[in-house]
Amino acid sequence: MTADTAPPDAAGTARQPPPQRPQHLRRSAMTVAPIAGLVVVFGIWEFYVRVFNISPLTLPTPWSILVHLRHEPGFYWRHAQVTLLEAAWGYGLALGASLIVATFMAHSRFVERASMPVIVLLQSTPVAVLAPVFLIWFGFGHWPKVLVAAVFCYIPFTINEFTGLRSVDPGAYELLRSVSASRTEIFWKLRFPQSLPYLFSAGRLCVGLALVGAVIGEMFGGSTEGLGNTARVGQVRLLIDQLWGSIFVLALIGVIGNLLLAAVETRVLRWHSSQDLPGGSAATL
Amino acid sequence: MTRRSRAAYDVAVPAPSPGGGRTAAPASPASARSIGAPVSIRGVSKWFRTGSSFLHALDEIDVEIRPGEFVSLIGPSGCGKSTLLRVVGGLLPYELGTVTVDGNSPAQARDTKQIGFAPQTPSLLGWRTVRRNVTLLAEVNRRGAIHPPLGESEILELLETVGLGDFLDRLPKELSGGMQQRVSLVRCFALGAPVLLMDEPFSALDEITRNEMRYLLLDLWERTGHTVVFVTHSIPEAVILSDRVLVMATKPGRVVHSETIGLPRPRSAQMEDDERYLAHMRSVRRALGEVSAR
Repeated sequence: MTADTAPPDAAGTARQPPPQRPQHLRRSAMTVAPIAGLVVVFGIWEFYVRVFNISPLTLPTPWSILVHLRHEPGFYWRHAQVTLLEAAWGYGLALGASLIVATFMAHSRFVERASMPVIVLLQSTPVAVLAPVFLIWFGFGHWPKVLVAAVFCYIPFTINEFTGLRSVDPGAYELLRSVSASRTEIFWKLRFPQSLPYLFSAGRLCVGLALVGAVIGEMFGGSTEGLGNTARVGQVRLLIDQLWGSIFVLALIGVIGNLLLAAVETRVLRWHSSQDLPGGSAATL
Repeated sequence: MTRRSRAAYDVAVPAPSPGGGRTAAPASPASARSIGAPVSIRGVSKWFRTGSSFLHALDEIDVEIRPGEFVSLIGPSGCGKSTLLRVVGGLLPYELGTVTVDGNSPAQARDTKQIGFAPQTPSLLGWRTVRRNVTLLAEVNRRGAIHPPLGESEILELLETVGLGDFLDRLPKELSGGMQQRVSLVRCFALGAPVLLMDEPFSALDEITRNEMRYLLLDLWERTGHTVVFVTHSIPEAVILSDRVLVMATKPGRVVHSETIGLPRPRSAQMEDDERYLAHMRSVRRALGEVSAR
């Protein structure tokens, strides 16, 4: 009997392998799944508001919010650009600072012990209260918002990167030591690449946090532009469509940011077990 | 602290049998190399600090290893085999005695890349392909190396030898455990170091793969002629691979028996039925039994 012939059962007839769905159907199902989830949630929302006759001042329907967005694309695009820029700067600043600090922490117990109280202090402080402080220090420009976004992102980035840099494979570390590889070589050949899954994990968390930071900065920072400002104005002036429109655009930016990062992650971390799930990291969206 | 005298286990490497031996390995760029270096371990003792007390890990180890010799260390868990390996490799300090690798201290040997190390697990870097994992050790500390690493064609030849010629651009996660261990072995040889230290490299493999790996290792070694110190828990593995098997005892770790393996080279699986092989097996097993009974 050849290896690919199905063994006969008791009656002597060849058993067939269990039927499987074709690969392309499974892939399509994986692509459709997130859309299906959104449709279900928005469907229930729309149904609830219409059936129970909820006041639009309390909760507008998702459809009415989408219609409002379609009528004011320029307005939202202008403000979204401001928030996006502040969030991106904050994200980048936090990433850069955390890479430097985490590298020093991973290489020196002294620096690690000296940094930990500061990190715990920052972690325990509601960062939103820093917005007025930054306003006093840096005025009404973009910098206070950028800094609030950076402070929001700094802790997850630093802790994850530090953990990643410390979590080296002991066998590989010993192997590099056995040929007297320098600290710099061990960092670039082993520590940094091995820390990337941790860094991406923090990166995805921080996409949302950077937006939250920028919005809080705009709300508390006396801003006249940005989606945080449009949401605040919408709430104060009972422009409920504008309030919800701002929320929808912020959510959309967050989703797009996460998708872009997931695409990069899938490419950069194709060697990592986290990418073995169907659809890679994007599947978690 | 008292120091007991102990005769050095400096048994000569058996001469290759007529028609066999390392010279019989197929001609190839790699086979042109015969770069084994001597390793000398004299009166080496080591202690580990455990809280407020000290654990006597190695006691007066005396071993002379000749260039190109294949020596296996075997013994119960905790007898200091891996510790001795790391002392020779300059990865652990020791308190008494002297260790030299081709006349250099372990630290100097490490700095000049005279030692290749194969850890227990393959420890491949997941983001590097097979080809780039193999060249990893050659890429670091380039200035220190006094022996040139294998060239690309030699590395490709070794990878072909171990059956990985079609997997050069694959990532480690795409390989089986046995294939990953083969990459680890080639990486160790590719460094071009005269002394190779192997710490139970096949311990995580199933018996069939492990058996296959023994002969792959023999094939690689017979082409290159490195000095190899090989830690194992397997008596058959130690006997079929080695020129000499050193049996170690625990508490403290010390060498209690040296078995010179008189089997001709090159060795093959057929030799496992040879009466001389079985006699060596019995002898090593008896020595291990005595160690366990103490």
